[in-house]
Amino acid sequence: MKIFHDSSLSHVTGSSEYVDDRPFLQGELQVGVLYSPWARAKIKKIDMQEALKIPGVVGIFTAKDFHHNVWGSIFQDQPLIADQEVNFVGEVVAVIAAENKTALTKAKDTISVKYEKLTAVLSLEEARRKKNYIGPERKIERGCIDSVFSQNQTQNQYQILEDQLTIQGADHFYLENQVAVAYPKEMDQIEVHSSSQHPTEVQHVVAHSLGLNSKDVVCIVKRMGGAFGGKESQAAPFAAYAALVAHKLKRSARLVLSKDDDMIITGKRNPFQNHYRVAFDSTGKIQGLDVQMFSDGGAFADLSTSIMERAMLHLDNAYFIPHIRIRGQVCRTNFHPHTAFRGFGAPKGVATIEQIIEKIALILNKDALEIRKLNCYTSKEGRDKTPYEQKVENNCLPELFEKLEKKCDYWNRRKKITQHNQSLFKNPFKKNLNSQLYGLSLTPVKFGIAFTTQFLNQGNALVHVHRDGSVQCSTGATEMGQGVNTKIAQLISEELGVPHHHIRIMPTSTDKNANTSPTAASSGTDLNGMAAVLAARKIKQRLNELASQLSLENSSKEIKFSDLVNEAYLKRISLSDYAHYQVPGLNFNKITGEGSAFSYFTQGVAASEVCIDIATGQVKVLQVDILMDLGRPLNKEIDWGQISGAFVQGMGWVTTENLFYSSEGKLLSHSPSTYKIPNIQDTPRIFNIDFFENNENTLNIRGSKAVGEPPLLLALSVWTAIQDALKRSISLPASSELILKTLVKNWGSSYEF
Amino acid sequence: MRDYILFYINGERHEVRGKFAGMMLADYLRYVRGLTGTKIVCSEGDCGACSVLRLNSMDLQKKTKAFFEPINSCITLVAKMDGSSIVTVEGLAEENLSPVQKSLVTFNGTQCGFCTPGFAITLTGLVEKKIQTCTRNEKVSKLANKKNSEKNNEEINEKEVKNSLTGNLCRCTGYQPILNAATSIDLTQCSSLKNRYFTPSQKQDLLKSQNKSIQISEKHFSYFAGTSIKAASDYLMKHKNTKIIGAGTDLGVLSNKNKIDLTHIISLHLIYELHELKKIQGNRFRVGASVTLNELRHAVLETIPEFAQLLNIFASPQIKNVATLVGNVANASPIGDTLPFLLVTNSVIHIVGPKGIRKVKIEEFYLDYKKTSLKKAEFISAIEFDIPKKDENLALYKNSQRKDLDISCLNSAFRLKWKNENTRQIQHIQIAYGGVGPVPLRLYKTENIFTDQILTETLLEKAIKEMHAEISPQSDVRGSSSYRHILAENYFRKYMSSLL
Repeated sequence: MKIFHDSSLSHVTGSSEYVDDRPFLQGELQVGVLYSPWARAKIKKIDMQEALKIPGVVGIFTAKDFHHNVWGSIFQDQPLIADQEVNFVGEVVAVIAAENKTALTKAKDTISVKYEKLTAVLSLEEARRKKNYIGPERKIERGCIDSVFSQNQTQNQYQILEDQLTIQGADHFYLENQVAVAYPKEMDQIEVHSSSQHPTEVQHVVAHSLGLNSKDVVCIVKRMGGAFGGKESQAAPFAAYAALVAHKLKRSARLVLSKDDDMIITGKRNPFQNHYRVAFDSTGKIQGLDVQMFSDGGAFADLSTSIMERAMLHLDNAYFIPHIRIRGQVCRTNFHPHTAFRGFGAPKGVATIEQIIEKIALILNKDALEIRKLNCYTSKEGRDKTPYEQKVENNCLPELFEKLEKKCDYWNRRKKITQHNQSLFKNPFKKNLNSQLYGLSLTPVKFGIAFTTQFLNQGNALVHVHRDGSVQCSTGATEMGQGVNTKIAQLISEELGVPHHHIRIMPTSTDKNANTSPTAASSGTDLNGMAAVLAARKIKQRLNELASQLSLENSSKEIKFSDLVNEAYLKRISLSDYAHYQVPGLNFNKITGEGSAFSYFTQGVAASEVCIDIATGQVKVLQVDILMDLGRPLNKEIDWGQISGAFVQGMGWVTTENLFYSSEGKLLSHSPSTYKIPNIQDTPRIFNIDFFENNENTLNIRGSKAVGEPPLLLALSVWTAIQDALKRSISLPASSELILKTLVKNWGSSYEF
Repeated sequence: MRDYILFYINGERHEVRGKFAGMMLADYLRYVRGLTGTKIVCSEGDCGACSVLRLNSMDLQKKTKAFFEPINSCITLVAKMDGSSIVTVEGLAEENLSPVQKSLVTFNGTQCGFCTPGFAITLTGLVEKKIQTCTRNEKVSKLANKKNSEKNNEEINEKEVKNSLTGNLCRCTGYQPILNAATSIDLTQCSSLKNRYFTPSQKQDLLKSQNKSIQISEKHFSYFAGTSIKAASDYLMKHKNTKIIGAGTDLGVLSNKNKIDLTHIISLHLIYELHELKKIQGNRFRVGASVTLNELRHAVLETIPEFAQLLNIFASPQIKNVATLVGNVANASPIGDTLPFLLVTNSVIHIVGPKGIRKVKIEEFYLDYKKTSLKKAEFISAIEFDIPKKDENLALYKNSQRKDLDISCLNSAFRLKWKNENTRQIQHIQIAYGGVGPVPLRLYKTENIFTDQILTETLLEKAIKEMHAEISPQSDVRGSSSYRHILAENYFRKYMSSLL
């Protein structure tokens, strides 16, 4: 039976409640932020006297108004409000509270901040030159990479390729901008409603910044209007601003960012620059790979060091590389602090190895798919271990390649495309302006499931069975559209034998589920679903005992669930329970770069065909075929939507989404009129998504596999298909400008630019 | 004269007075009426989350049918809703979900749900159009077909869905589930919203109001909508700091971003003649200031298909349902989509001022970046342009980062008349580019190279050199200068290769 998203009915009628849909309370204040126009500057003076006189302006707060003006998910290094110095365009320097939006706007224009501009670091290169680093360099190493290259100097067994790949960031573009409402409660307590993937962190940041205990702060998350990682850490400061106003003025306070402000203030996917040297033999088999990854962390650490770790852990993607060294260093610049975005670092690692393979194919004049299959992990001893020495268990990759290659008719399409493109390449560029080039590429993903920070791999859940037999459950998971609540309801339904519509998953609230992990790393259902099942199981055990006792007493074989529940109540048996779940078997050591980093791998393959307009460089995605291993999917419809959504989101990252900064470090593409996420016309003309049957993932709940992030990485097949069409490598994103210039440059023409 | 705006929301009559008339419709719906289903995301008409359906009773004065069409409520002033019936997402379901809503649920067309109200609204707009443009006979035959075929959803096709949803962004689903939902809507189960939200009595009430001008005068807000050009002109004379608001799709954005103040405004929507779109002198169109781009597209579909095609990829359906050609001209952006076309079709702008009407050639209208020859207290009443003849050769090109609903990086128009088509002798050619300088540009020097000449490769190469010399594109967020040079040349060659 199909089970629909548990909010779909309220979504389509517009009755779903998001934070800014909450009714205004009497006296509720509007909160706004004033932010730095400079990438780096000293704050000489903030003069707010005139602004405070504006009718409707109730309060203006600066750094000194927080009890502790510092936060940070990994390192506590970021001021909530800039104090003395600003370090990126968009860094908040003052928080304004007003009766209405007009007063708020006026106040922003009236507050005068005197800055003294300082030299800013506005490129990764410069940060590296200045050794502006965040955290230590990390390393994963296996075999003897140096000797591969040094031996080759005398023996010349391998071809060596040395190059680098530049990867740009991307904006999350969740539809619901950052938002928070804070209510002051008696005895200095605060209740804050936030659009956050991490209510526990919001609670902690609010309490810490206001000098309160965690017991005095409750953070509630009903749902988010999209998040994609952008609300994992970065929802917290906005909640803190609203809470500051509520705490100081004892009035409800609401902060709603505009899309422009949201895009200017908040961090993006980290840009990366990856330098590599690779040794491969004449068949295309990779013998050794030495990679140095640098990421732009922005002005503060945020989650960048963890993101780098995941990038490093995914550099191998689906490929066994005997000798390998991966080094990663986060750099500090004067951009907004970059942060989590679906895939975390993994897309940047995978993009690198996939481009290396494209290049090897070009050099050897072979089809890239052959190189991919040749290097793929196999179950053979010796070719089944990742660079961090975790065995790739339940490896379906070879089979996935084989199945999709057949299903999408790869080789016949390849033949046609080659013929067509070759016929065009014979002519001069300017004679082809009414033609299109085609490209085809099939890429895999092997995505490790677990937080690489071990302590986050835990979840908890609270289940109440009510006397009418209906069930409420709350967990640490937050709903952002991914369907975690629907899946948890399904799991409880199966566990208790209660229809799923008798189960309601309640808003995430830190007074019900404390010390929770962010809903991130695709792990929402894995962690919280398991905890919910464990809690329900405890109740079930008690009910089972009661049932057998009852059937002994009055020999009747059947009893309605609600009757049993009611009977339990009357017998004073607890109908509620709580459970905690800890993911077993993880032992990755970040310092040595060795150990089991993941509990299992979600795998998949995608084949994409693109067509490039030669006159403009514009790309159309003609056909995409995806084959995904999700073990035994919990809800195929929801998972299908996760795959199509992640893929199209990834397509945007690799093609049209361009972050354009001024030479002063200000983001200029800060709204949808200039920042182009995929639109319905950009979706693949033919879009086939299939599930690979895999009943062998015994490690995870009900044999399922996490789905949120992995399919995003499959969109790299669109990027590699573009390179296939161009017969040239290209950086990321492959914008139409870049594509056209690549064409013009390499097709011997008279153009000068 | 009245001192209020009259419109209906989900069938409920609203007379809006005072400064509320100066609110954006989305804010009014959400924060005054508590209808929070309508969402605000970008405040610039680029995402569609704020979409509501609007039936403009004024349309009935121009044509026999008026439809509920989607518009962006976040950039639309309440004042501009005068005479309209509005339906928000809260008004779609009756006792049960509407077929559109049901389909979105069944096909998992919603994830986080924030864009969903906009999609439900826009799809309902498509359904409204479909069920009303189907003639009765078609309906009957389709019903009959339905019995014979297993598939009962052939009535909405994928292309229609994509074209109607160009103005709605979704970041979760990848659109495929929404497409599946839309193409599966069972039209035979759909009944028009008009039955509930444009009943004969509502219709009459709204139409009656449209004969009366509106004046709202408060200290911090004033609004005037007269019923004649003269009344509007007189008002502007007396109130020189008043902004003229056409559709407001540009001014609304600027106001949302605090770049302008929309506190003293005048609207032309009650002036009947400005809604007129007429063929004049047999070979020209005259397009009134209130004619929407959607209406224009319909009007030129047969006569200037190239222009209609360009209008297809202009902005979004929500914008085109309200935005006007005159607005695109008055906005004076160097990359306005319609401007290269207007530059090659001898367009003349009718400007109303205190001394009556003056006519200005479009080439002389643009003075500098975003500066026009429009003076205070003047407004554009209409634009006229050529309908290119069948023996002329017209081509229009637009390039943008994303093909649909994106502002141009570069656009261009070519119009050529042969002296002798057989010998490839050109009489003259008109060439215009947008995005190559501070104003949209006619390339006179390049044009002259072709005049009376026989088209050859050598001539083409010479002209391309001249073209590069004539344009001076900048680098900005939409593309670099060098990219624009390449595009300019490629479009030139593309066009010429079709003639050579």
